[in-house]
Amino acid sequence: MLARMEPLDADARLMLRYRDGHSEAFSALYARHKGPLYRYLLRQVRNAGAASDLFQEVWSHLIATRARYEARAKFATYLFHIAHNCTIDFFRRDRTARRAARDDPEAQAVEPEAPEYQRPDAMAEFVEQQSALLAALSSLPREQREAFLLHEETGLTIEEIARVTDVGVETAKSRLRYAITKLKKSLTEAQIPAARRLEARNASA
Amino acid sequence: MHRPDELDEYLRGDSPLSRQYRRENAPLPPHALDRRILESSREARGAAPQLAPLAFAASVLLSVALVLAILFGPQTAQHAKNAPRVVRAAAHGAPALRLYSSDPVHVRTPSAWLADIAALRRAGRNREADEQLRRFRSAYPGYAAGMAAIAP
Repeated sequence: MLARMEPLDADARLMLRYRDGHSEAFSALYARHKGPLYRYLLRQVRNAGAASDLFQEVWSHLIATRARYEARAKFATYLFHIAHNCTIDFFRRDRTARRAARDDPEAQAVEPEAPEYQRPDAMAEFVEQQSALLAALSSLPREQREAFLLHEETGLTIEEIARVTDVGVETAKSRLRYAITKLKKSLTEAQIPAARRLEARNASA
Repeated sequence: MHRPDELDEYLRGDSPLSRQYRRENAPLPPHALDRRILESSREARGAAPQLAPLAFAASVLLSVALVLAILFGPQTAQHAKNAPRVVRAAAHGAPALRLYSSDPVHVRTPSAWLADIAALRRAGRNREADEQLRRFRSAYPGYAAGMAAIAP
């Protein structure tokens, strides 16, 4: 029996058209994915400046390597795999820079501050601006946060999340399971004080 | 019977958690960034990736032509390749003299070669001077200018 070919998704067809020289196909592709990709990056690195830099890096990589594109899987897995790799590199660079600054007494003397997005006040400000859910999401371990964002922003399945993040299906499943358990718990905890405030207001009225 | 857990419920879609997430503010990239990326996508299109194989074939052809030109080029190129080259050596009590090496990059002109032979003679190193003169005549058989100065 012949294996059934998986039909190309609309985005993969757009990417193939862009690869073959149709720039309007890129515009359509960009319009569809810019929001989910930007939010994925923003909520992963938790800093608007760094997210913008990474956002540009991901699209630049896509543009530069378009000639090698082959529609083997859903386009979103291809795009977010690039994004995942860029993010990993970002965290690696950041860790190296922080370690170098910590080990170098002169650098400490000259610039004792951590990068802006790592400063506790900047982090606190970021968290304060978020709702309870986003604050809880922000406090998740990076891998769990990523699994949740990939599912919410792109609708990727567990298998696709595993492919994007280069881990086994069970690992991806476990990360997502932990993420939703913690998020639900945080939401419930956040709702209790709000409910109490409402009760107190009703009682005093 | 298998009891669906939190994850299964969540993956079925439209869970309270997903609904809550979708109600959140959905930030977008700045417009300036949109413009920059769309411009770069159009500029890159101008570079026409489908022409890359053609460019590669052209560069291979050029490289082959260059190699053939080096291997089977004019005889003068061979002369230059075979001509002796200079290295530094200290003569006994004499100023440093430039002797010949096989370094293909530094090829001396005939007049510089003759000047070196003359220097060898002045330093009393006649045997080396004779040997260099023999090699000089073999490399430049018709060369006459300045020969008197280096005659034994």
